Amino acid sequence: MKTFDPVTLATPLFILLIVLEVVLGRLGKAKAEYEVRDTAASLLMGLGSTVAGLLIGGTIAAASLWAYQHRLFDIPMNAIWAWVAVFLLEDLTYYWFHRLSHERRFWWAAHVNHHSSQHYNLSTALRQTWSGGISGTWILWLPLSLIGFPPAMVAIQKGISLVYQFWIHTEAIKRLPGWFEAVFNTPSHHRVHHARNPRYLDSNYAGILIVWDRLFGTFTPEVDEEPCRYGIVKNLTSFNLLRVAFHEWAAMARDLLSARSPREAAGYLFGPPGWSPDGSRETSQMLKARWRAASPAAGTDPAGAAPAEFPAGT
Amino acid sequence: MNTGFIMQFAASLAAIGTLVALVAWARIARPTPWLDEGRARALLAEDFPGRPIDRLWIADDGAGAIARCGSGAAAAALVLVRVGDGYAARSLPWADAVATSLRNGRLSLRLGEAGAPRADLVLGAWPPKDIAA
Repeated sequence: MKTFDPVTLATPLFILLIVLEVVLGRLGKAKAEYEVRDTAASLLMGLGSTVAGLLIGGTIAAASLWAYQHRLFDIPMNAIWAWVAVFLLEDLTYYWFHRLSHERRFWWAAHVNHHSSQHYNLSTALRQTWSGGISGTWILWLPLSLIGFPPAMVAIQKGISLVYQFWIHTEAIKRLPGWFEAVFNTPSHHRVHHARNPRYLDSNYAGILIVWDRLFGTFTPEVDEEPCRYGIVKNLTSFNLLRVAFHEWAAMARDLLSARSPREAAGYLFGPPGWSPDGSRETSQMLKARWRAASPAAGTDPAGAAPAEFPAGT
Repeated sequence: MNTGFIMQFAASLAAIGTLVALVAWARIARPTPWLDEGRARALLAEDFPGRPIDRLWIADDGAGAIARCGSGAAAAALVLVRVGDGYAARSLPWADAVATSLRNGRLSLRLGEAGAPRADLVLGAWPPKDIAA
């Protein structure tokens, strides 16, 4: 299915912006830290992701068309209200996809590579998954076609969201005007999302609109007193692309082989990242609880407030 | 295979090569000075908050460290290894760490994780003579 693809169109812009960020960093005009092997890994993960996407793209397109054939309503692609609606619904879908991808290990295994860099720059935005297709999270978008949004419209909106999320992967922009920070996902909000400090874990899942995090209790503001440390709770010791792409799948498979009951197997698969039957490993919730216990101020600090109703992952 | 795809793939690889070369030219990685005791303790405290360190050994090349934490059967080795311009930390049983011997001045600790199979540290001597498992 050939359609307008915002990501393909924006790719030259991605490259130009990375060049700009590197040059500004070199000139000392903006905060930008790039490490050679880290950058190579991020960019090659991005390239591999497009290839992996092609392998499963046909299945996703076929499923979307099938859902659309069973649609509840006929929604026109040329109506402004329809674009407003698909923008909001796609962004809400993205929020829950992203939250699931952090809080349940099976989907974290597909998403973790995006967080595996210890850097936060525009190249990090391109460190994309190779296994997102097989993890099946694309199913979450099928209800939009079932409602009646044409699959091409959904695909375009997904592309717009991805393009939007590129530019927020930077330390070069500190804060944007208050009204913008209140409504939209920004570099500041997304830095928090990529941070491994216990204070910041499992926060700011937004795609374009940060209002979803505010609404569902997962918003954490960036605090100047605690700079973000990027990466994952257990950083990788290698830039090997296969390890970057599949390490969590391998770890999960190993855990599954050691499971002594179906309950344990289910916990390893669908529990929060870091879950273990005896509690000997640490989930994000445990790390945050320990941080709160050690930081008396955290109890009154909105940045330290945990979303109590959901278990957290890494 | 589709010719258009091959051309696009090749162009992407060329663009990646160019960007990586630009990054190499820019030299804007984080500064990673020789690890000293203060810095190693600070880094370990980030990954293992509240775990008291009894002894600390800095790698001879300043690119890693190993610390002993706790005593008896519960003693752990906290390991820090440089990865690019950052660090990764892991813990393993102290008994496993002291059971590993140096090879060509390098202590290669088996971590057994897909994301961190080994931690290599350049050390003059190991295990420390004055501290037993």
